[in-house]
Amino acid sequence: MSDANAGRLLEHGTEVPFSEIEAALGRDGVQEGKRASSLALTATVVVVGPPERLSDAAEALTQLTDIAIRAILISYGDRATPVVRVWEHAVALEGLTPHYLNNAVAALRLSSLPTLVWWRGGPPELLDGLADLADRLVLDAEKPVPVWARVSALAERAATSDLRWTRLTRWRALMAHFWDIPEVRAAAPGFNRLRIEGSDLYAARLYAAWLASTLKWTPAALEVHEKPGGAAIECVELGDGEQGLKLRTASSSTCIETAARVHGHAGEVSRIVSLGDQGLCALIGEELRIRSRDLAFERAVAAVGGLE
Amino acid sequence: MSSVVYDSVRMPANPLQDGLRLEPTPGPTTLVIFGATGDLTRRKLLPAVYRLFRSQRLPARFSIIGAAREDRGDDWFRTQLRGSLSEFAGVKEEDDVARSLTERMYFVGGDFADGAVYRRLAGRLQEIDSAGGVLFYLAIPPSAYATVIEQLGASGLAASPSPAAWRRVIVEKPFGTDLDSARELNKLVHKHFAEDQVFRIDHYLGKETVQNLMVFRFANGMFEPIWNRRYIDHIQITAAETVGVERRAAYYEGAGALRDMVQNHLMQLLSLVAMEPPIAFTAESVRDRKLDALLSVQPLQDDSAPDGPQVVRAQYGAGWVTGEEVPAYRSEPDVNPASTTETFVALKFHIDSWRWAGVPFYIRTGKRLPKRTTEIAIQFRRPPLQIFKRVTAASVAPNLLIINVQPDEGISVRFEAKLPGTRMQLAPVMMSFRYGTSFGGSVPEAYETLLLDAMIGDPTLFARHDFVEASWALITPVHERWRQAAPEQIPVYESGEWGPAEAHALMTRDGRRWRTL
Repeated sequence: MSDANAGRLLEHGTEVPFSEIEAALGRDGVQEGKRASSLALTATVVVVGPPERLSDAAEALTQLTDIAIRAILISYGDRATPVVRVWEHAVALEGLTPHYLNNAVAALRLSSLPTLVWWRGGPPELLDGLADLADRLVLDAEKPVPVWARVSALAERAATSDLRWTRLTRWRALMAHFWDIPEVRAAAPGFNRLRIEGSDLYAARLYAAWLASTLKWTPAALEVHEKPGGAAIECVELGDGEQGLKLRTASSSTCIETAARVHGHAGEVSRIVSLGDQGLCALIGEELRIRSRDLAFERAVAAVGGLE
Repeated sequence: MSSVVYDSVRMPANPLQDGLRLEPTPGPTTLVIFGATGDLTRRKLLPAVYRLFRSQRLPARFSIIGAAREDRGDDWFRTQLRGSLSEFAGVKEEDDVARSLTERMYFVGGDFADGAVYRRLAGRLQEIDSAGGVLFYLAIPPSAYATVIEQLGASGLAASPSPAAWRRVIVEKPFGTDLDSARELNKLVHKHFAEDQVFRIDHYLGKETVQNLMVFRFANGMFEPIWNRRYIDHIQITAAETVGVERRAAYYEGAGALRDMVQNHLMQLLSLVAMEPPIAFTAESVRDRKLDALLSVQPLQDDSAPDGPQVVRAQYGAGWVTGEEVPAYRSEPDVNPASTTETFVALKFHIDSWRWAGVPFYIRTGKRLPKRTTEIAIQFRRPPLQIFKRVTAASVAPNLLIINVQPDEGISVRFEAKLPGTRMQLAPVMMSFRYGTSFGGSVPEAYETLLLDAMIGDPTLFARHDFVEASWALITPVHERWRQAAPEQIPVYESGEWGPAEAHALMTRDGRRWRTL
């Protein structure tokens, strides 16, 4: 979608009958005498959720100006015949009764493109049907526990991830970098305390579960502190009281400061690196670049329960 | 790039790297740049390191040591980074990441022929990280390669004390000036470094489209069956620049387009197009097949060959490029007014193999051409029967596959379509894929990819010693003939045109023509 028009898709798209969607998309590709931009589409992105959670997703997709996608936005309601709007390569279905969600996705997906379903909430049982229609499920529910409980089954049918997990990508990479330092690897068996601070306790627990499942380790002391209003994760400390590793957002919030304090030659290591764009657009963009099953996520989700 | 060997340098395996979405990072590394005060460091290397550092592609323990003849100190080198980022990376104000990177920058100065420099360097490495890997980058004039390589060997810095404390060296082009000098240089390098420690850089190989060429050919079942003499008429490879010699006259006068572009960049592209499928995507397998392709290229005949010359050279005259008048090559600063250095060269190669027998590969490159572009164009044979000739006057254009290497990286296919209407009219249409519009995220600069590959220990995108020598073996006889002929003047083309008439004749003699780009 181009930024100039699709950002207002939900308000200003052309209203058409469902059966004429593809023809309308073709017409909208040539507007006011202008030829449609030449794009090699890479995916169909289906955003599903309650109406109040669709506008920011639509905005994020409009910002994806450098990834050519075909966007479908479906909001729940009680209509068997929803309002349908199209704009360039995008379709919005408003107020669809959840019962017909799978039918709509089945009709609108294209066999020639991978389909990514961005799940922004709703009855979790609907995911079972979507998993058969999607190549990739990206969960993004406000309360993720009920859908996380389904991940192991869903992942057998479609690669499954979660935007909370996407937010942890750089935090995970930075922790992994420490493990390349021989002195850290030597000290790691003694690390028994994990403290995580941030605004999203679910993300914090997922991070802890990733460490536990990957290192096959259970922290003797796990502290998860909620810090409302800030970033999902703001600080991670792992250590034994004397030696340890610390990751925390820098004052600018766009960077992460990392520091290792362990015994041995050059055991003090610190640096500042970019946290990367944590906006919805960047996060969904990252998910669009991944096509394979994410076993590390599946293991981490499975381990979350063990930390409760 | 690929990650075929990086695990071997990270001992034991790091469990937290399993399933990471960010691409693999090297183990602890110190980058030593010889030529830290030079243009390459300022324009390319420091911005590339900054971008890698910023995007978490470098290890937690990473440092840079700049080395140069002048002893300028750590602070100067750190200031150099700030200037470089401001000028070439768009970082106008120093950010937290740049500040953090400067804290890991050090400087060692002195005469590269003086052993004391290397003792100081060894001391610095010991202080910074005695257990990590060290990557030496020779960003220095070729005349200084031998001195630095000898000294690295003599000081013991070339030897890897352990798998994690690896030692590697990146050597910039030109790798020699002819076959003999390339062999000599390889011999010298191998005296102190094993081949798997040596990374001969060709930044063309770091470009996404060049890497994509292998994916395009070997990850798609539909192209490889027609990638041969039965379906392909000929191949054109063009590397056109709008710039003149600029500040490189001192080097370029002794090099010319044949050495500067063809021997390295364009022979790499030719080998990627012509190579047989490797048995696996491993460095050795890929490089073996590329070498096979190069060894199949027939020697270029001299100008008296019965089917005409296979090589055309020319020099730009005054003209008009990108909106302004420009001087002739001979009028450029620091250029000999009687110079016969070629700024344009066009060649026709034949490859003796079952796949390519009878399919010419035309290559052209030049300075002061109308636009900056590098592309590979594969022109297919026309259909065997012209069934539409009775209904349309125009001849059917042959199918064309175009691989754009720069600046607009992507792949296009030209095919015939029916014009809408009641009459049967044909018209060629293009179907295009562009990296810029299809995939998100910024495309990494070639130097980022290649620096990281060298730190990880993956040589797939670097030239192996035998490839370099095979390439020089094709080019050197041409130079030798030119040297013996010693004309007072070589053909001249007007700046802003697509080369001399002789280059067009090279194609028209075969009933073909260069693509108008």
